Amino acid sequence: MRRYVLSRLGQVILTLLIYITLVYFLLQAMPGDITQMYLANPKVPQAAREELRKQLGLDQGVVMQYLTYVKNFFRGELGVSFSHYPRPVWDILMERLPRTFVLFLTAHVLSFYVGYVMGRVIAWRRGRVVDYAATVVGITFWTAFYPLLALVLIWIFAYTLRLLPLNQFIEPKLWQGAPFSANTVFGYMVYGGGAVAIGLFLIFYAFLRGLKRTRRNVALAWLSGSVLVAVALLAASRAGLLVYIWDIVNHMVLPVCTLTLISFAGTMLLMRDSMLETVQEDYVMAAHAKGLPDTIVRDRYAARTAILPTVTSLVLSLASSMSGGLVTETMFSWPGLGQVLFHSALANDYPLATGALAFTGVFLLIAHFVADILYAVLDPRIAYTGQPAAEG
Amino acid sequence: MDPLLKLDDFTMHYRTKAGWVQAVDGVTLSLARGQALGLVGESGCGKTSIAMSVMKLLPYNSKVVRGRILFEGRDIYSMTDGEVRKMRWKGVAMIFQAAMNSLNPVYRVGNQIVEAIVTHEPETSEEEAWARVRSLFELVGIPKERMYHYPHEYSGGMKQRAVIAMALACNPKMIIADEPTTALDVIVQDKILREMDQIRRKINMSMIYISHDVSVIAEVSDVVAVMYAGKLVELGQADDVFKRPRHPYTYALMRAYPSILGEKHELATIPGEPPNLLDPPSGCRFHPRCDRASAECSKADPMWREICPGHYCTCHNPVEIGGTWVGQVRSGKAADGGDQLGTSSNS
Ligand SMILES: Nc1ncnc2c1ncn2[C@@H]1O[C@H](COP(=O)(O)OP(=O)(O)OP(=O)(O)O)[C@@H](O)[C@H]1O
Ligand SMILES: [Mg+2]
Repeated sequence: MRRYVLSRLGQVILTLLIYITLVYFLLQAMPGDITQMYLANPKVPQAAREELRKQLGLDQGVVMQYLTYVKNFFRGELGVSFSHYPRPVWDILMERLPRTFVLFLTAHVLSFYVGYVMGRVIAWRRGRVVDYAATVVGITFWTAFYPLLALVLIWIFAYTLRLLPLNQFIEPKLWQGAPFSANTVFGYMVYGGGAVAIGLFLIFYAFLRGLKRTRRNVALAWLSGSVLVAVALLAASRAGLLVYIWDIVNHMVLPVCTLTLISFAGTMLLMRDSMLETVQEDYVMAAHAKGLPDTIVRDRYAARTAILPTVTSLVLSLASSMSGGLVTETMFSWPGLGQVLFHSALANDYPLATGALAFTGVFLLIAHFVADILYAVLDPRIAYTGQPAAEG
Repeated sequence: MDPLLKLDDFTMHYRTKAGWVQAVDGVTLSLARGQALGLVGESGCGKTSIAMSVMKLLPYNSKVVRGRILFEGRDIYSMTDGEVRKMRWKGVAMIFQAAMNSLNPVYRVGNQIVEAIVTHEPETSEEEAWARVRSLFELVGIPKERMYHYPHEYSGGMKQRAVIAMALACNPKMIIADEPTTALDVIVQDKILREMDQIRRKINMSMIYISHDVSVIAEVSDVVAVMYAGKLVELGQADDVFKRPRHPYTYALMRAYPSILGEKHELATIPGEPPNLLDPPSGCRFHPRCDRASAECSKADPMWREICPGHYCTCHNPVEIGGTWVGQVRSGKAADGGDQLGTSSNS
């Protein structure tokens, strides 16, 4: 397992190098010297030009320039944005990243979970009414035109019913005079939410790890889980954060639901297909023969091995939604990374565009790495041979 | 005493696009406690279908047409799901034909056995269950530390043993072993068969061995049931059936397999193919391939009758004289072959 993780890590770093090299040379391939492009532009101050020259080390040879670029990249020195001069690119990205991260990760986890659970149920009840109904509904949303669906949902829930806030990611009035910046709150949400999630995982793992699921253990797990969540909420409220978190969560509901609706069917159908194969496996029959309860056979036998292909799709869909993130962020006026990428490209803000592009890549590579590890944890055959085992 | 398992005119069919496959037709047999029954017949004659019927694990396209299966006097087809779950593994455990694939690839082998134990014996703690797995592994001859390994780290023979250990985990009243050793080489096969037989005798468990190989059946069973094209054709004590086979099919089958102990005799294949169970032959299903067939055989279905006490057979023209190679295998005596059928010769 350790060797597997190390080799995957090596691969990720190598891919990252190749990726930033590509980004770099794409930039180089642009006609003309980058500073020349701005020489005649009065909008770009002399200081920015100098900064850029220094950052890119244009006085040195190509190889040296490239090495400097790589070195700077890994130190987080991405230069200064033109359109937000004199803010460093790193600052801008660090401001946007948590917002994008919170929104897309939430939407993804939710969509994956819904898809997994529904796929599991409809595969187990294949050919019944639930199967047809879920498939039709899922495919309808899957094929719907995304911006239109978003508009319809905004119209229903935010405009007509006024249940949810319209526009932006925070309520400006509420945040006037707030003791925190929105970003601090996002930061707390990322770290606090992550800590709570890990805590919950550990609690459930500790109590329900055994093969014997006693009622007492299940009750204890739920109890201590609730206590943990209550403590976290209490801490947030004592710190005066809760109203602001609640505001952000309110603003997240619509985009998250839209993203989930549009994408859960992918996981669901994949899970259904994959599980229709595993239910035919002999070990599922053997599990029935062992007299195990139906839900255990479904979850520990049929669904447990069927989940593997869906993990791959999780990464692929994360990639596609990151690139399609612009649509979501525009529809819901969510000032995230997608908007930065788009606007910086329009504004010829090369340092910012490069930085945003590179960051998206880093993000995806990390997701890929996590998926690889997850895959190996879920399928012991992988860490053993280094690749998925052929079914014998 | 009540038999442990009783099949009473049991008949089940599969629905296919081409029609109904009459996989099991009017099978009547019973199994006493502690008894080993060998079920033998060519591929596709319905052996696995009988096993699956007893486990109540038939696929959705199957239908029980007639008859009953009684386990400890209770009709399993009128049991509730909960009762069936209790019967499984604690009452009847099974070693599947594809034993190699009946282990979940993503869980440790030990876990899968512990799971069965704690499901059926809620009063047993997980530690006790692991201790039992340890002793089971010792019993079937797998190193203990292998409990914590995944199935893909096992060799084929080890998986087979693990599956046997799993079947023994809840001390079932009976085990159905569907070709438990076909995937193994002959030496390992023989060893595992002997071990299983020993364990069975030690804990006085009933057993149904299923095989297409008469020599395997001859070695381990008390009672033998011979099946052809979905029907039982002969049933009796192993000694009776193998020393004095009455049905021409039994006789032909015995001659088609070499002795597991390496006794030499010429193998005689059975001419023709097993019939298509979508539309089996009229009368006796074996008549197109039978060299004793008379005009009657294609018209009338022969009766299931007790030819001598405890020895049943369905044949219009049963074989009369006994003395064949299986008798030699069991007693280890010299050859005195019978050539009553005149089809082939012993050496
Ligand atoms: N699920 C099914 N659907 C349709 N027909 C089936 C099904 N399972 C088995 N059959 C048919 O039923 C008949 C008996 O099959 P079965 O598996 O019981 O034979 P078997 O004696 O176990 O053979 P083998 O020695 O090859 O394992 C065969 O003709 C087979 O084609
Ligand atoms: Mg079979």
